[in-house]
Amino acid sequence: MLATSFHTPKPSSRTSPHLAGDLAIWIFILAELGAFAVFFGAYAFTRAKHVADFNTAQLALNRDAGALNTLLLLTASAFVVRAVQGAQMGSGIRDARWMLGAIACGMAFLIVKGGEYSAAFDAGISLSSSIFHMFYLSLTFFHFMHVILGLVILAVLWNGLRLGRYGVNNMNRLESGAAYWHMVDMVWLILFPLIYVIH
Amino acid sequence: MQYKSQAVAKPYFIAAIGLFIGQIVFGLVMGLQYVIGDFLFPMLPFNVARMVHTNLLIVWLLFGFMGAAYYMVPEESETELYSPKLALALFWIFLVAGAATVLGYLFVPYATLAEMTGNDLLATMGREFLEQPLPTKLGIVVVALAFLFNISMTMLKGRKTAISMVLLLGLWGLAIFFLFSFYNPHNLVKDKYYWWWVVHLWVEGVWELILGALLAFVLIKVTGVDREVIEKWLYVIITLTLVTGIIGTGHHYYWIGAPEYWQWWGSIFSALEPIPFFAMTVFAFNMVNRRRREHPNKAAVLWALGTGVMAFLGAGVWGFLHTLAPVNYYTHGSQITAAHGHMAFYGAYVMVVLTLISYAMPILRGRAANSNKAQVVEMWSFWLMTIAMVFITLFLTAAGILQVWLQRVSDTPMGFMATQDQVALFYWMREWAGVAFFIGLILYVISFFIKGESKAIA
Amino acid sequence: MSGVFTKSMARNIFYGGTVFFFLLFLALTFDTNKELPKRDNSQNLTPQVIAGKKIWETRNCIGCHTLLGEGAYFAPELGNVYPRRGPDFIKAWIQAQPTGTPGRRQMPQFHLSDEELDHLVAFLKYTSEINTANWPPNLEG
Repeated sequence: MLATSFHTPKPSSRTSPHLAGDLAIWIFILAELGAFAVFFGAYAFTRAKHVADFNTAQLALNRDAGALNTLLLLTASAFVVRAVQGAQMGSGIRDARWMLGAIACGMAFLIVKGGEYSAAFDAGISLSSSIFHMFYLSLTFFHFMHVILGLVILAVLWNGLRLGRYGVNNMNRLESGAAYWHMVDMVWLILFPLIYVIH
Repeated sequence: MQYKSQAVAKPYFIAAIGLFIGQIVFGLVMGLQYVIGDFLFPMLPFNVARMVHTNLLIVWLLFGFMGAAYYMVPEESETELYSPKLALALFWIFLVAGAATVLGYLFVPYATLAEMTGNDLLATMGREFLEQPLPTKLGIVVVALAFLFNISMTMLKGRKTAISMVLLLGLWGLAIFFLFSFYNPHNLVKDKYYWWWVVHLWVEGVWELILGALLAFVLIKVTGVDREVIEKWLYVIITLTLVTGIIGTGHHYYWIGAPEYWQWWGSIFSALEPIPFFAMTVFAFNMVNRRRREHPNKAAVLWALGTGVMAFLGAGVWGFLHTLAPVNYYTHGSQITAAHGHMAFYGAYVMVVLTLISYAMPILRGRAANSNKAQVVEMWSFWLMTIAMVFITLFLTAAGILQVWLQRVSDTPMGFMATQDQVALFYWMREWAGVAFFIGLILYVISFFIKGESKAIA
Repeated sequence: MSGVFTKSMARNIFYGGTVFFFLLFLALTFDTNKELPKRDNSQNLTPQVIAGKKIWETRNCIGCHTLLGEGAYFAPELGNVYPRRGPDFIKAWIQAQPTGTPGRRQMPQFHLSDEELDHLVAFLKYTSEINTANWPPNLEG
């Protein structure tokens, strides 16, 4: 699917302000952010009506795990940036390992979050157990699936880097995939304080 | 007509229009039964009329989709249809099966019909829109599979365009999700849950792929805008459609016994469902504004633009009006639902099929476009039907708001029938708007018979 | 601002996004199926109720009435008709149809036996005990 032909930006287009990545991915990112934004808004709105319940339930969350996951995603994003810069400067094949590092961080995120989920399920928490847990599980699981999708994309990009597909004249796919990953990271940066921290 | 096998589309379009007329006649009968309750009773009880009204709609839209596919796919694939004979045979099978089913509804008591047709072997009947007897349901599957075989084989031997891929995906999805009509668990909640996998995943899912493909095809033809541009926007729009529409199914799960988190998931995602419809409107107008040629078929352009606007109003705006769970708590199953259903089906599916017929039929009859006189009449029919539908929707919405107020919001709620009496005036006005719609439809049919000078195919 | 907008990217996002959201839908469906026994009153799905559902279906009741808000909007909601009217009234009402009052909406006579009427009532009772998140807003449906 990814091996088909595509347009590449002409080098001259780099002189004007440049939108990294494909317009199509940006429309998709905007749609996703829209969905998350509405979901966050619904959370804030509902929280205001049930402050006490939410506070109690929030205290039971594993904030250390959440903080660790924040670090992991930030690191992954930094690695992705390194890989993209590497490809831009023509050393994509060598810098593919940064992408691999990002993938490792993403996987670690899934493991940590999976541990949290299994503890929660053992404690009998489900989407239907309380309004807070409905939001907690819905939002984090929705995001969790985005991390999985992001990892699939990073894996494809890693493969492309390794095979030397991306370079200064051929950045569209790489930048688009990277932009998607940064979106996944950014959503977590809102989600983590919103659900784990703010009382 | 570039490929002679495209001609098989013609009987499909004619049958579609014929059944459309039948649908509206039964609609008018029902509209009258809303205010003169015993009209035609017991010869034609309301439930039978409704079954015919909704089933005819579905069947004629399917005829339209199939005709559209037979017309579009050879041209898109740049090859003759795999088997025009199969297409023609399926036409007669589907038409006869459809007619037999409707006659069964009209002349055999439904319980007897169920008994006669093996409903005891596998009970699938008696659920809204899926009332068809078992043999008809099986027939639909067989016809759909043979049709998909024909279309898929045509595409495989020819050029594969984005438009034909999206169309094919939509048609396959249509057939696959219809299979859930055979699943009818005793558990009412599960019955309803999976019933929506046919109904919602059709009209707010795979049918929208078909809609997008048809609209994109006609836009390429009448505007001359680069295929590349139209096809990438097609992809963006249908992405938005499915991203919002699949989870948007949740807006049907609020009050049928499903877990309550669906109120959140359903509200959030279906609140975003107007976005793809809005994008489609903008897209249609944009492409027409950027047109590189003046196509002689002005009527087809009008239908295409109308589809964009009316689909947005009917499916997007009227859907959003009552999709949020706290609102839907009061409006669920009221005349507001009926209002939305009418405008959404007309704006999205009726209009897109008429768009394609309007574009393709003159070509199938050997001319690039109909004579000016015929087109003027067709455009009159466009305005008459569309404005009439706007009024039907407005009157039903008014009836619905009043109904919700009297029956559900009020501190001293009125009973159902007492409420119906209170809103009868709006039902009368809806019926008159329905008559106007019917006149528009007659004008539409007349436009096919108006001669006059027409341009030959370039 | 210059940008790139390619068909292949739009296509890949379409396929990826569709698969993603369909999987999400399946995950929610999985959870729904797990939760349903707490809400769907399936413990009361007796043979009578099942027979009643079939009568409901084969008389095409949904062609005029709504059931939990779904169906036609020509006649009253029946999801809560059991608590609204009670079993005896329901049976007597069905037997008394059509009323024949000029100009009023008419319900057909279905010639149901006493046993069939009991089944239908059992089905309506079962339906009324499904946890519908307090819908409809009041007894009038």
